[in-house]
Amino acid sequence: MSKTNANRTGNSLLRTGAVWLILAAALAAMFLIALGVGSSGYSLKEILHALGQAEPANTTERNIRIIVTQLRLPRALLALLVGSCLSVAGALLQSVMRNPLADPGTIGVSAGAGTAAITILLLFPHLSYSVPLFAFLGAALACLLIYLLAWKGGVDPVRIILSGVAVNSVLGGYNAFLQLQNSDNLQGVLGFMNGSLAGRSWQEVRVMAVYAAAGLLLALCCIKNANALQLGDEMAKNLGIRVNGARVALSAVSAFLAAATVSEVGMIGFVGLVAPHIARMLVGSNYKILIPTCILTGSLMVLLADTLGRTVWPGTEIPVGIVMSVTGGPFFLYMLRKRGNFRGN
Amino acid sequence: METEILRAEDLKIAYGERVIVEGMDLSIARDKITTIIGPNGSGKSTLLKAITRLIHFQEGSVFLEGKDLLSFKPKALASRIAVLPQIHTAPADFRVKDLVSYGRMPYQKMLSGKSREDERIVEWAMEQTGVAAFRDKSIYEISGGEAQRVWIATVLAQQPQVLFLDEPTTYLDIAYQLEMMQLVKRLNRETGIGIVMVLHDLAQAMEVSDHVIVIKKGKKYAEGRPEEVITCRMMKDVYDVQCEIMRIQGRTKPLIAYAPV
Repeated sequence: MSKTNANRTGNSLLRTGAVWLILAAALAAMFLIALGVGSSGYSLKEILHALGQAEPANTTERNIRIIVTQLRLPRALLALLVGSCLSVAGALLQSVMRNPLADPGTIGVSAGAGTAAITILLLFPHLSYSVPLFAFLGAALACLLIYLLAWKGGVDPVRIILSGVAVNSVLGGYNAFLQLQNSDNLQGVLGFMNGSLAGRSWQEVRVMAVYAAAGLLLALCCIKNANALQLGDEMAKNLGIRVNGARVALSAVSAFLAAATVSEVGMIGFVGLVAPHIARMLVGSNYKILIPTCILTGSLMVLLADTLGRTVWPGTEIPVGIVMSVTGGPFFLYMLRKRGNFRGN
Repeated sequence: METEILRAEDLKIAYGERVIVEGMDLSIARDKITTIIGPNGSGKSTLLKAITRLIHFQEGSVFLEGKDLLSFKPKALASRIAVLPQIHTAPADFRVKDLVSYGRMPYQKMLSGKSREDERIVEWAMEQTGVAAFRDKSIYEISGGEAQRVWIATVLAQQPQVLFLDEPTTYLDIAYQLEMMQLVKRLNRETGIGIVMVLHDLAQAMEVSDHVIVIKKGKKYAEGRPEEVITCRMMKDVYDVQCEIMRIQGRTKPLIAYAPV
């Protein structure tokens, strides 16, 4: 029997490996497609040539090189970073709130970051260099607010989502009001409201890479706590977890990841909902395997959505935030109908 | 008492204004099966949670191995006592072996993986509870009785001195209830682990307990050996139920026959 057991354990490792390999391959393929398609399309050979070290031989090659390395490459990389951060942020929130429907976009965490960022930009423009800090504070505050509203002798997963939706809507109203009041200065604000990767350069990639590296490393430190919290508060406490401390730590890391993306590319919803859900279906709920899988599904999703957004309607850029809302909303409803991920005993 | 591992003195537990348990003195033996019984709402589960630090108590003190319960660090406490709450959940896709492995958390650092020692003890816990055969199944694929044994294996993997079980048989059918009682008794006799549990079924309490504590309206009504404590008078006083306690040849413990309805 021990032999078949070993085989089964081996099978599940093999399965995880296969899932990662397939996702990585899909991501690589999508990455090349994202570099190739657009207002002018390039072949794989042209892309690789442009990415290579050789000096461009003529103007055409030089143009291709500029478009690929200065426009599409940073944008694609940014999509990967943003997707990873949002996806992992969602996965962590889902453990903290014990609800697979939690997502920084839908329950107001991103809106908290956006609200803080917009407020700073419009009302205190001399502080604009500290937008990321305030975005994080806004996200953390939104988290806290959702908790306080949902707390009633304990945290009920449904109440969390409902109070999150309420927080999201109030913050949305406030943001809309600020826009009306400052209609002469909408450029910066609109960027936050509809997350978009258009026109982002290597500068944003560098900043985002630092945030992503820090946030994802912190997320790895959360794996044990995230797993324990899925077993309920009392069981987690029994296992020696400081439940409240773990909640705060996980929420903070999640808020940090979400706020980092908001301050660089604006609000993008549903990635934190859909990408972890797909990852869960593929590899299960053990965060040790789930978090790396979320990084893959999240980056694949944002890259796909952004590429679709800039190619599906020639001549028009649909911001990636809008693509995600249009496709993510129906997905959210689908998940609401088919709950049952968590089974009581 | 020399074998005492946990002692509570003048304990008061309240939810807000509502006092659930008051003036409670308690002494738990290191290697015995202690059962707490009492009617619904008498405060027995609340008491269990307070002496395992799952909830706060307002007054009094609890000592574990002679030290203040509140002075233990969470992990140090989790490697001495383990408690299986009445309600516990896990994502349906969790595998049996992974769940049991979580019992080793009190012994692990934040980023460290499983040590060989951890692996060995997880195996031991699965063997003891008879769940090793379906270690790779998800807990969704096994029966309620089997799942409850997996949870027992999880808390057993914490290698506690005392295991606290809050109504471990409540959602199980009678066959699984009896199986659970056998398991509890065997674990106590063979591994020397102390058991403290809350039970509803008095026949089961009579059968497996070394020591029974009766709680009535948040106060201790009586305690002692089961056949001393579970009497017609107690049944009348505490549960307001008429019954006869019968001795039957060939059985060591008496049986309870309730008045006809």
